[in-house]
Amino acid sequence: MKRVRRFAAVLCTACMALALTACGGKEKEVTVDTAALASDLLETVTSDTLTETASDMLPSIYFFEEDTIEAGTAYASSGTTACEIAVVQSKDADNTASVEKLFQTRVDNQSDLYASYNEGEVARLDTAIIKSAGAYTVLCVCDDVDKANDILEEYGF
Amino acid sequence: MKSKKRRRRARQDRLVLQLLIIVAVVLVVFEGRLVLTMTQHRSIMNDPEAVATSGNADPSDENTEKSDRADNISSDMGTPAGESALAGLPADIGSSNSTSGTSASSAVSTVANPDSPAIVHQTDPPVDDSYFSDAVFIGDSRMEGFRNASGITQGRFFTSVGMSLASMTSGEVIQTADGNITVAAALSGGSYNKIYIMLGTNDLGEYDWDAFREGFISVTQRFKEIQPDAIIYICSVIYVEESKVTTGDYINNANVDKINAILLDICEEQGYYYLDLNEFLSNGYGSLIEGATSDGVHIYPEYCEQMLDYLKSHYVTASDAEEEPETETETETETEAAAENS
Repeated sequence: MKRVRRFAAVLCTACMALALTACGGKEKEVTVDTAALASDLLETVTSDTLTETASDMLPSIYFFEEDTIEAGTAYASSGTTACEIAVVQSKDADNTASVEKLFQTRVDNQSDLYASYNEGEVARLDTAIIKSAGAYTVLCVCDDVDKANDILEEYGF
Repeated sequence: MKSKKRRRRARQDRLVLQLLIIVAVVLVVFEGRLVLTMTQHRSIMNDPEAVATSGNADPSDENTEKSDRADNISSDMGTPAGESALAGLPADIGSSNSTSGTSASSAVSTVANPDSPAIVHQTDPPVDDSYFSDAVFIGDSRMEGFRNASGITQGRFFTSVGMSLASMTSGEVIQTADGNITVAAALSGGSYNKIYIMLGTNDLGEYDWDAFREGFISVTQRFKEIQPDAIIYICSVIYVEESKVTTGDYINNANVDKINAILLDICEEQGYYYLDLNEFLSNGYGSLIEGATSDGVHIYPEYCEQMLDYLKSHYVTASDAEEEPETETETETETEAAAENS
């Protein structure tokens, strides 16, 4: 009987430990091809033709600390609309919060500037998607927000 | 039986005849329109007076009035007004991958004074992106589009959608991680040896050209104070495709020519360098190449790439910069001295 109780106690402890580990595992195991995701999100932009921006320019557009970013792909407008897509992989998943904050600042700055230039674009910026999964963060300013969310869900966001 | 056959044949003949008539009508309508357009165009180009006075393709009363007002203010700008793209003619008339000093494809000069010493001509060999490592690009959405779509990999960009002279002078329009700041504040944050400025599209409705001129000189002098060693390049305002512009009648090529003449004049006076982007973006008749934009203003990526190539082949060397282009004041002094000596 004692042996059974001891076995039950060990089993319970092991289960609790496993459960705790699972709860602590907040980070999803997500691996994303940034170029492929950005390219798929392009389908959600129908009012403009976006072009891939040289990756060297991304830190000066989004103000990342260069040494915190592993990879990134961005598509931007040639000036016609506020549409843009950026997919960034941080070196450390803990960095995604700061990337999200930078993306939000980017959207706020753009809204301020478009307010006096082309007000219609402000509404589009209001629906900007900023999401993270694992070490990846996405900014998507597009025409079809639902479709963009579907695509992101497929990629694990 | 025979009469039936004859009737059927006659019906068929009539049908063929009708078809031929339809084809002929279609040919007359479409080809005739093309021939008419070409004839009209040739007669315009053969008549310099008509070229010089031709206005916009669609001169509304208000537009004409505005152009007249602008003409009164600035009567010394000899550049012909723009002519919109011609229906039926190939879209790439006047477009050229060549970025030679004088564009053979341009039937109408894109600068008020082609002999101006301030104009930067093609220099061999072209530089690579590292030339822009100590450069800063200041400008409006068209410059921002250039950053986004040209493939350029170096240089700082202080750009903003809707940037005008007023907002470049004092508006908080340059994005940072902590919000928007002024151009001067952004420029003070680094050290640059080249400053490229592209401004004017959002000022095309500004008909107090003297005020524009004074304001532009004032703000560029301020930039020069902040970055005393920098070469200043002023980009011409790129032509527009008037038929597609929906943001206001004032955005037209007649006004682009006027503002560019002022910018060139400022370059001559202040010792800045003028980059005539319309050298490769003009359709040859004072308008943007047909089909180069979706909204008439912001050029497609392939043209942004051509612009990068243009900047790489149109630059001044450090030694050129030491011998800055002769300013108007210097020329006047030299003339006076020569007169005194004689």
